[in-house]
Order: sequence, then C-alpha cells, then structure tokens
Amino acid sequence: MIRVWLLRLYRDFKGDILALPGRTLACLAVLALFIAPLFIRDTYILRIITLTAVYAVFAASWDLLSGYVGQLNLGHALFFGVAAYTSAMLNLHLGLPPVLTIPLGALAAVMAGLVVGIPCLRLKGQYLSLATLAFPIILKGLVYLFKEYTGGELGISGISRLAGSRLVECYIALALGAVLCFLIWKITDSNLGLIFHAIREDEITARASGINTTAYKLLAFCLSGLFAGIAGGFFAHYMRLAGPFTLDVLLSFQAIIWTIFGGITTIYGSVAGVIILFPLMEILRAFPEIRMLLFAAVIVIVLRFMPEGVVPWFLDRVEKECPRCKERNAFTRTRCRVCRVSLSEREVRARTTTRA
Amino acid sequence: MTAPFFQVEQLTKKFGGLTAVNNISFTVQPDEMVGLIGPNGAGKSTLVKLIMGILKPDRGSIRFKGKELRGQNPWDIVNRGIAGTFQNTRPFRRLPIIANVMVSCLAPRGRRRGEWVKRIEAKARDALEFAGISDLALEPAAHLSHGDLKRLEIARAIATDPELLILDEPFGGLNPVETELLAKSIRRLHRGGRFGRLHSEGMAMIIIEHKLSELMKIVDRVIVLHFGEIIAAGTPREIVKNPAVIEAYLGEEGA
Repeated sequence: MIRVWLLRLYRDFKGDILALPGRTLACLAVLALFIAPLFIRDTYILRIITLTAVYAVFAASWDLLSGYVGQLNLGHALFFGVAAYTSAMLNLHLGLPPVLTIPLGALAAVMAGLVVGIPCLRLKGQYLSLATLAFPIILKGLVYLFKEYTGGELGISGISRLAGSRLVECYIALALGAVLCFLIWKITDSNLGLIFHAIREDEITARASGINTTAYKLLAFCLSGLFAGIAGGFFAHYMRLAGPFTLDVLLSFQAIIWTIFGGITTIYGSVAGVIILFPLMEILRAFPEIRMLLFAAVIVIVLRFMPEGVVPWFLDRVEKECPRCKERNAFTRTRCRVCRVSLSEREVRARTTTRA
Repeated sequence: MTAPFFQVEQLTKKFGGLTAVNNISFTVQPDEMVGLIGPNGAGKSTLVKLIMGILKPDRGSIRFKGKELRGQNPWDIVNRGIAGTFQNTRPFRRLPIIANVMVSCLAPRGRRRGEWVKRIEAKARDALEFAGISDLALEPAAHLSHGDLKRLEIARAIATDPELLILDEPFGGLNPVETELLAKSIRRLHRGGRFGRLHSEGMAMIIIEHKLSELMKIVDRVIVLHFGEIIAAGTPREIVKNPAVIEAYLGEEGA
C-alpha cells in the first residue's frame, strides 16, 4: 500500500515538477532555504532568511489583490500594520500567546480589508489607488495621536517572542511562508482565481456572465488582508516591536517593487522578487551612501530588459509553450510532453505558413 | 390570468435632455423569437442595457416570470435566467477562450443547473462546440477575429442556461457565410434540445439587428423603435409593408 503511494508520489513529482526547469529550480530554492539555517550560526543571516519568508507572504498577498483582481492597492501596509499593532496590543495588554494574537491580528486585517474595500467598490483605476494610499496614512496619524495606547513614534515594544531560539523562529517562518504562499497560489489557480482574472479583464462582462463582482472584490480585499495580516502579526512577534514603520508608505511600495520585479499576476514572481531583492538590500548595506542608488539602478536595468519581470523572462528562456495544447515544456524537448506535437520552431513555422 | 413570461411596461430612460427610451411596453412569450429593429439612435441598445440591469431606468417596470427586475443587479438578472450579448464584443482578452466561457459556468445559475456535471470545463467546451469555435478553445480571446468574438459572446451567454436570450446585433460585421451559419445556430438554440452537457428547452429570444433580411427570416414577431418609441409591432410580413416603418428607415421622400 505504502509502496503504491510512494510510487504514485514519485511519478507525480517526476511528471509535474522534474519535467519543468522552472518548477525544479523553485523546489531546489525552497529546499536550500530550508537546509541553509542548519549550517548558519549567524543570527543576522537567520534574521534575513526569516524576514524574507515573512515579506514573501506580504508581497504575494499584494499580487493576489492588485495583480489578479486589478485593484491597484498603494496602501497595502495598512493590513500589515493593523495586524502588527493588534497582535502587539493583545499580547502586551491581555497577555495572549502568539498562537492566538497572530490569527486575531489577521482577523483585524480582514476587517481592515472590509473597511477599505467597501468605499473602494465605487472607485476604479487611479482613484481607487489614491483612496487606498490614504488609509495607512490616516492610521499612522491616529497612531501618533493616541500615544498612550500605541507608543507613538517608538511603537509597542517588549512583546513576547515566538520561540526560544532564532533557529526555531526561522523554521516557523519558513514553514508558514511556504504553506501560505502555496495556498495563495492555489487560490489563484482555482475557479476563484478565474473569477478574479475575469473581474480584472472586464468587470461589465463579468457581471453579464452572472458573477457578483461586488462580493468577489470584497472577498479579494479580505483574503489579501488575511494573508498580509498573518505576515504582519508574525513580524511584530519576531521583531518584538510594532512601530509606525509597519504602516509606512515605503513598505507598501516595497511590496509593489518586489512583485513587479519578480513578475506580476504570478504569485511565484512576487515570492522570487522578495527572495532576490530583500537579501540584495542587505548586501548593499556595505555601501551605505549609495545603497538606494544601486538598488534603484538594479531595478531600472532589470525592468528595462525584462519588462514582464524576472521570473516570466527566465521561464520564457528555459521553457516553451506547446502551440497546440499550451502546456509548458522544457526547452530541451523537441516534442510536447502531453500531446506529442513537435515543438521545433522550424516545424511550427512551416505548419502555420501552410495553413495560411 | 397568469403573468406574462417577460413584460416591459412604460419603460423610460433619459440622458439629460435626451429621452433614449420613451414609455415602451411589450411582452415576450416563452416560445417566441422577437426582433427589435430601428434606425441608429432609436434606443435599441439602451433598452437592452436597461433589461440587463447595466443601466437603471427612470420609470416603468421590467417583469420576468412575474418577478420585478427593476433595481436588480446585473448578476441577479443573469441568475434569474436572462442572458445577453453586447453589440461591441467585450471578451476577457488575456484569458483563453475556454476560460471566458467557464466564468459563466461558475455563476450561481450555471453551477446550480449543471450540478451533476463535475467538470465545468466540459460544459464550457460544449458551449464553444455549439458556437462552433471549440477548436480555438485554448487561444487567448485577443487573437479572435470579429466573427469568432460574436460566437464567443453567444457561447458565454448560453453557458448561463438562460430562459430568455437577448442578442445585440449578432450578425454585425459578419460576412454572408458567417451570417448564415450563425442564423442556423440561433434557430437551433431557439428550438431547444441537448447540446452535449447543455440542455435547453428552447429559449425565448430578443434579437436586435440591422441586417433586416436575415432577421425577418428567423423571427416570429418584430418590434420597431424610432426615437425611443415603438412605432410598429407585428409579424415580419406586416412590418415590411408598414408605411410608418418605411418612413422611419427611408425618410418621407423614400416612402
């Protein structure tokens, strides 16, 4: 029985993951991230790995709302910040453990999603973006105003740690990041994802197809808030601090930069964007004066030559799409792995010209 | 007396000083195919948008199987059994054609009716098969020709299992062969039957069209609009002889 299951697992693994260079590389990268902390004693590097996992969820949640549903959110840090502050307050004032405060913080972020989503339902395009930009700025103002509860500029500190050691915390972050990113990707790959695509492409046609676009847009705001909220709550407990930084415009823009750099409307692109850019920012600390300049230069140059993002550019190089069944194939193959049609460019061109 | 299948009563819509639809009333029976014609700017497309819930009427009522539709959301109207196509096709351009139709199958009505069909993709493929574009199922909609986009619109509409189908200029921009093929499909759809996983008992139809020769061949009854008002209604034979209609289309001198 077990042997049959293992064989089936191996067959699926070989057919669905090893068959495509992109997926194989993604698996290797995740594996490397999971193995690396075992050999690293430096807490600074462990911290970079942990925060990479947290930010990957944050960027993927932005991609879910803005890339898939097309609701360009410029104030995504709102969800992160609301969850971070809620978790911190619940932990500090009520003494709840992180196991409870992180989900409750995420719930608060879902509420924030509703609060932002309902007025934004009537707005489109740049007006929607401007409205979403305003929310975290307003909340930041409130944070400064009610210093006795929020700690003002210093934030709330002294909240309890997630686990006894940095290594365990790192592993919790990695596991949580992997599961949540996979979940977000699965959502976008499901029927719900198809409806999100449809709403982005043409809302009126989606309505005429019988889709309640209002409900689905709100659902997208809430789902995005949920995932960003889990990341925010985790961040607060890991840093043992919830400060105004978590509501910063810069943090919202970072999610956008990571996602567009990696490849928007892909989920895996935003995760790859964080994995590449977040450690890069830390490496660039070696040149403090020109750090931001170098960072900006890297982004401008990369997007000049890879306008769709790094991951789609790379996948186009190592994989080709079957002209008939649209399945992806490794670049080394001459025939499609599903429908066996020839993938060589010369033959495809010859076929299309004869048809024309 | 039982309520009519579909009834529009004293429907009015104004855009500023312009009355696009003025006090229009008509009914459609469940087995009828009604043509809606009129010169440019007569208010035909506005009327369709009012029925589909995309525009809100200023006055009047729209009743479907005895239930008021006025003030309902477009998706509620679709889920009650009225589907429509747009005059200017609006596909989900970057999605594959099959995905365009699958979205309709995911709507509550499509899903409820087709519950025994586990795979909505198969149902969507049947709708494409019926419309005659199933061989292009995996291409993105942006690659389609105008004629195929019209077919896609129809596939998208019938995938919601409508009881009343409203087609806004289905033959617009099609060549004679394509027109003939599409007219055949529409007649088949009206008669009803089983098309793969899609089962239709024959749907009532409202067709808006400029190509009168094609329209007159397939419809049971014609309603003529001019400046937002109904100027004539009757069988195609009666309409072509109606002096008011000839005047509206050709002007006084032509009449």
